Amino acid sequence: MHERLSFYVKRDSFLHRLNPLTKLTLAFGLIFIAFFSPWYWAPQILFLLAIIPLSFLGKVHREYFSAAFRLILPAAGFLFLMQAFFQPIGAKAIFKFWFLDITPESLMFAFTNASRIFVMVSSFTILLLTTHPSDLMSDLTRRGLPSQFAYVIISTIQIIPQMQAKAQTIIAAQRSRGLDTQGSFLKRIGALVPLVGPLVFGSLVEVEERAIAIEARGFTSTRVKTSLREIPDTSFDKILRWFLILLIIAVIAARIWL
Amino acid sequence: MAIVNLKNVTYKYPLTDAPALSNINLEVKEGEFVAIIGPNGAGKSTLCYTLAGFIPHFFKGELEGKVEIAGVDLKSSALNEWVRNVGLAFQNPFNQISGAKYTVFEEIAFGLENQGVPRDEMNQRVEEALTMTGIRDLADRSPYSLSGGQQQRVALTSILVMQPKVLVLDEPTSQMDPIGTREVFGVIRQMAERGMTVVMAEHKIEWIAEFADRVVALKDGKILLQGSPSDVLTSRLLSENGFGISRYTSTAREALKHNLWPKHLHLPVTLQEAADGFGGKK
Amino acid sequence: MKIEIKDLHFTYPGGVEALRGISLTIEPGEQVAMVGQNGSGKTTLVKHLNGLLQPTSGSVMIGDWDTKKVAVAKLAARVGYVFQNPDEQLFSSNVGIEVAFGPRNLGFPAEKVDALTKDALALTELSDKTSTNPYDLSPTWRKMVALASIISMDSDIVIFDEPTTGQDAQSVARIAHVVAELKKRGKTVITITHDIDFCAENFERVIALSRGEVLLDGPANAVLGQEKILAQTYVDPPQLTRLGKRLGLKKTVRNQEEFLAALKK
Repeated sequence: MHERLSFYVKRDSFLHRLNPLTKLTLAFGLIFIAFFSPWYWAPQILFLLAIIPLSFLGKVHREYFSAAFRLILPAAGFLFLMQAFFQPIGAKAIFKFWFLDITPESLMFAFTNASRIFVMVSSFTILLLTTHPSDLMSDLTRRGLPSQFAYVIISTIQIIPQMQAKAQTIIAAQRSRGLDTQGSFLKRIGALVPLVGPLVFGSLVEVEERAIAIEARGFTSTRVKTSLREIPDTSFDKILRWFLILLIIAVIAARIWL
Repeated sequence: MAIVNLKNVTYKYPLTDAPALSNINLEVKEGEFVAIIGPNGAGKSTLCYTLAGFIPHFFKGELEGKVEIAGVDLKSSALNEWVRNVGLAFQNPFNQISGAKYTVFEEIAFGLENQGVPRDEMNQRVEEALTMTGIRDLADRSPYSLSGGQQQRVALTSILVMQPKVLVLDEPTSQMDPIGTREVFGVIRQMAERGMTVVMAEHKIEWIAEFADRVVALKDGKILLQGSPSDVLTSRLLSENGFGISRYTSTAREALKHNLWPKHLHLPVTLQEAADGFGGKK
Repeated sequence: MKIEIKDLHFTYPGGVEALRGISLTIEPGEQVAMVGQNGSGKTTLVKHLNGLLQPTSGSVMIGDWDTKKVAVAKLAARVGYVFQNPDEQLFSSNVGIEVAFGPRNLGFPAEKVDALTKDALALTELSDKTSTNPYDLSPTWRKMVALASIISMDSDIVIFDEPTTGQDAQSVARIAHVVAELKKRGKTVITITHDIDFCAENFERVIALSRGEVLLDGPANAVLGQEKILAQTYVDPPQLTRLGKRLGLKKTVRNQEEFLAALKK
């Protein structure tokens, strides 16, 4: 768990060689089209014509499909069920379960929404699989994103496994004082109190110390920063970004006029 | 030539009544190695943070008196410029990893990126720093996969690569195991030999005796005593005020009462001094 | 309460074999220090004593309780474990409540909880800080609160994990005093420590671990004098032991009294 601190998989592929901002634009482009195009089947078409090919172009198809089956599909499926049952649209029920029912309209609504979420998460997954987080942040910072913002995102990703480890230690310490972490549900809720305090306090101390450490490394310097890793930005990248923006505008136009 | 100059420095943390530092007057010459000792709460960390500029700029509070390093006054400086002159490393190695970088090499370059150093120069300086502190073999590893001692050495290297004029260390081996302690002091020894100006807060008396040119004993925010290691570490004032002293010193002092330590001889601080003194007696 | 460890093997989920066949007995009332480099298995071994870890093979008996069959929360009645970082357990708004947490969990009646809490606070010199918020105290005193909150559980066996790390001389003296008092009360005290001088001056038996096996196990004087073997697990002998060896003293000494006595001869 410690070594794999992010989704990024190091490979040499077409996607890997693209500029980080290009990939970010691509991801947002796909999401935008999925959500705003006026065609019902847009998410599914995007999945077949964009997501799957991209995963191969990035040589991360194995990792993507694994994530898709294990996480994204179940999550989207759950969302689908919730929306199908709980969306109060349509009059005639085609399926009844207890007091919940599904209508053709709610089915369509749920399917569309779940598909859009599926495309959104898939886009980000492929983005994260093919982009070194450090590169993404360096590139964005160079283009004007405040470095503090970039830093918070990156360090949060890395700190999650560390917090998990810390939580484990705290649980062990309190169990050693006789805290019952099994037993009834109510007991387990009560058991959370002695666990949350140390976790929060400890994490706050760590956050403060880390802030001092990066300050000591000149993080808040107002001088122009350089970057160790070369992040290429080719003309292909620029053309592709403009193309995507035009595509997004076209989709907006289509939505307004169709 | 005094590179560090503290005159009548008094400091209170925000929302406190009692000052954490009282009337500190301290000069450090270029290339000197000064060790700060004292019980917990004496103000060692506060003094370190003041030298590093975090007091008052990060911790706020009331700072009186003058703090000057390399001719620059602290109060009229911005913290992000002050850190170019003064490097800081502290106890917990894990919290000194930036969290923004995925390899040790990149981690060390982080400070140089922030300083706007051109790429070629960055690569060169990081290579040199890695070799200097002996962690070349760790360059491609994730900082989070390292041991405490290794992480602390990475933290030190990350500061040293920025070429500060003064290095401030706040109990750098407090959380290390014996191997880690040895590794970290190895790097510090190298710095000292290269003539780096170092101010280090420490509890480990044996190491202080080996490195320090001067020892400053702090108690309740005030300087109790300062001078050569040999004078300060054997002074009665230390044990009377709850400081830890080397067992060689305390044993020799006790031995003196039983005529087992030569009367004319200065009390020992290190193993060698003790062996010489007791040995002659045998 | 006797501790009986029989051919204990333990492998971490990741595949690392941390303990390779450890067999030991610790009699009630013994004062034992575990030393050895990081990764030698000290913490892994000690975590088996209160059930935090379960043997991959072999057994650990605390008195008549098999740790494989008794829950951690229940074993806490017999084995108290003071973790290295006090901030990983302190959560109450005042020291008194914090120290009473343990005995209360063990189900003691209110008067007993009160009595045990008072006693633990007195032992750790915290009686005047009972209503203070632990986080308002310095790290040194927070350590004392952590100690008190385990002592108040009145278990027969107390384990200290690196008690003196980051502590100043006065604090180490306080901790040594607590250890001495626990010894007087007949408690078994087990400590993991890198501070070899603290170990030499307060513990009668020293077990040196290396790579998951017992390297040395015996009276402190016997073990601490074995410089070469200890070096295998990166342990330096105590200051006065080294001095004694340098001066060619016949007996291995481990504290001031022994050193001076040996010198007089």
